[in-house]
Amino acid sequence: MPRALGLLWLLLPGLSALEPLSVGLAIGVASALTGYLSHPNFYCNYVECCPGAGHRINATALKTQLDTKLFGQHLAKDVVLKAVMGFSNNPSPKKPLTLSLHGWAGTGKNFLSQILAERVHPAGLRSKFVHLFLATLHFPHHEQVKLYKEQLQNWIRGNVSVCPHSVFIFDEMDKMHPGLIDAIKPFLDYYEQVDGVSYRKAIFIFLSNAGGDLINKAALDFWTSGKQREEIQLKDLEPMLSVGVFNNKNSGLWHSSLIDRNLIDYFVPFLPLEHKHVKMCVRAEMVARGYAVNEKVVEAVADEMTFFPKAQKIYSDKGCKTVQAKLDIHEDVMMRDMKAKR
Amino acid sequence: MKLLRAALALLPLLLLRPAGAVEPISLGLAIAGAAASALTGIISYPRLYCYFRECCLQRHDQRVAAVLQENLDKKLFGQHLVGKVVVKAVKGFLNNTKAKKPLALSLHGWTGTGKNFVSKIIAESIYKRGLQSKYVHQFVATLHFPHAHSINLYKDQLQSWIRGNVSICPRSLFIFDEMDKMHAGLIDSIKPFLDYYEFLDGVSYRQAIFIFLSNAGAEKITEVALDFWRNGRRREDIQLTEMQNALSVSVFNNKNSGFWHSTLIDRNLIDYFVPFLPLEYKHVKMCVRVEIESRGYVVDEDILTRIADEMTYFPREERIYSDKGCKTVDAKLDYYYDF
Repeated sequence: MPRALGLLWLLLPGLSALEPLSVGLAIGVASALTGYLSHPNFYCNYVECCPGAGHRINATALKTQLDTKLFGQHLAKDVVLKAVMGFSNNPSPKKPLTLSLHGWAGTGKNFLSQILAERVHPAGLRSKFVHLFLATLHFPHHEQVKLYKEQLQNWIRGNVSVCPHSVFIFDEMDKMHPGLIDAIKPFLDYYEQVDGVSYRKAIFIFLSNAGGDLINKAALDFWTSGKQREEIQLKDLEPMLSVGVFNNKNSGLWHSSLIDRNLIDYFVPFLPLEHKHVKMCVRAEMVARGYAVNEKVVEAVADEMTFFPKAQKIYSDKGCKTVQAKLDIHEDVMMRDMKAKR
Repeated sequence: MKLLRAALALLPLLLLRPAGAVEPISLGLAIAGAAASALTGIISYPRLYCYFRECCLQRHDQRVAAVLQENLDKKLFGQHLVGKVVVKAVKGFLNNTKAKKPLALSLHGWTGTGKNFVSKIIAESIYKRGLQSKYVHQFVATLHFPHAHSINLYKDQLQSWIRGNVSICPRSLFIFDEMDKMHAGLIDSIKPFLDYYEFLDGVSYRQAIFIFLSNAGAEKITEVALDFWRNGRRREDIQLTEMQNALSVSVFNNKNSGFWHSTLIDRNLIDYFVPFLPLEYKHVKMCVRVEIESRGYVVDEDILTRIADEMTYFPREERIYSDKGCKTVDAKLDYYYDF
């Protein structure tokens, strides 16, 4: 008791500052500040937030990006633009948006999914609401398919309940175990709710090389019959793609109920890239690095790429891949030219 | 008890007189504490301690390319193609802050032509401690991945190792030796890291460098070189493009190449195929000379010629190219110089 009194006597000088008015004012200001800081309009500038229900994708921005960055894919641009804008502007979609991108290597499938992800979540692939799965990295061992199924379902369920506008990108679908994709079929379907979670606002993108040879064949047929590349319509390719992918044992979607039930909304084909598109890629890379565009170098790099088929040599084997590496070899030529101009 | 009360009674007086607290011992302790914190802050500053300990390079040294070129010119004999490609590739990659994928070099060639040597030179140009650096990782297929039945274990371990090290230091160097002896599926497991992804599970691999060394394709390279020689053309006239196309296809179809039907070539994840030409007589002599000089002996042309003559050469009729490249040269030196 005496010790307590002694301690109280110690605090007396400080206690004189605690009088009701100033304390009340301090508490009021603290609450107001907390309220203001917790308001999404404020803290969403610093921390990443899930887009609200009223969020719409900016159509003009998407169109500009597709036009300036994606070369040679008139079909893909068309389809994706319409699909994504239709889905975004729909206040209550009936099922999640499911795109299946098919095509040859280096034609821009990952690139397009990246652009899409950035439109929905500004941080793009770095966003915590965008999830990228690689079959060879995340689901490597076929014996553990059951474990992967469970984990994948829990992951999707958990993330969509946190943010209904989540984006899921599945790469290397041709290397994925066929049964694994069946595991997420329930989420892609026309249900209003599954176990209390609604998946209707999510976006699923599947990337694969399957069907690439069929697309190449169709494009080549168009070329040999003298028609313009831009005349290729989606209706020419879609049915062939769907069946081709369905029957292809390596497609990952093989005999999967995804196609059976028409849960894929759009099959987006990627045409192989021609010589002129490779040159566009080289120019874009030079601009990105800050060099002036030197047509000689562009021509040299584009000529170094290999083309198929062997007779006609129209389409690039690797699409736009390895362009950067080849640019490095020609870099000293570019540096010399830059110095000469000065 | 009474003493305690007295002490408690006196304490408020202390508080009422803050000036009284400034007395030598506590002030001295406070100053010592402040000085210690300041010193720790200075010592922790990266620019300072990176002189004493090894740090991960976030900004590469501008001189790397020059050092690399110099070393390759001085120490590597008979590989004009290698010098050109490697310097440009490494320089371009290091200068490019917005690299879209990690650098992947595939060095192919006859044994003893300098593949490990070049990877060592590259490591030394970029990292202070060269191959001993903790950011340089060397894997030998026959040593680290010996058993074909443990392939799944190796895959998991390799992926974890690469992921862990690149998250610590994005500018890591991975050297894979004896690729022709590596299980075909194992390389597929690192394919995701070599691809054009921005982030994989939160880790960016775009600044890493991967070097693959192998003997596959050596016959094709020798074929091309021999053709040149038989047509009387100079060795230095061999261009990279002729080699690269021939190499790429032959390595892909070679069941022993470790890249066999692997997605690495399918997807064109290898940035550069670097061919190593077989070494001729004059190059072997250069190797011997360098070895003698490095040991500090006097160069005796007679012994030099004798040693070079002792090496075996192929093909049988022309006898131009050394069978073992520059290997076993130092052993022969010991025989002739018995000090």
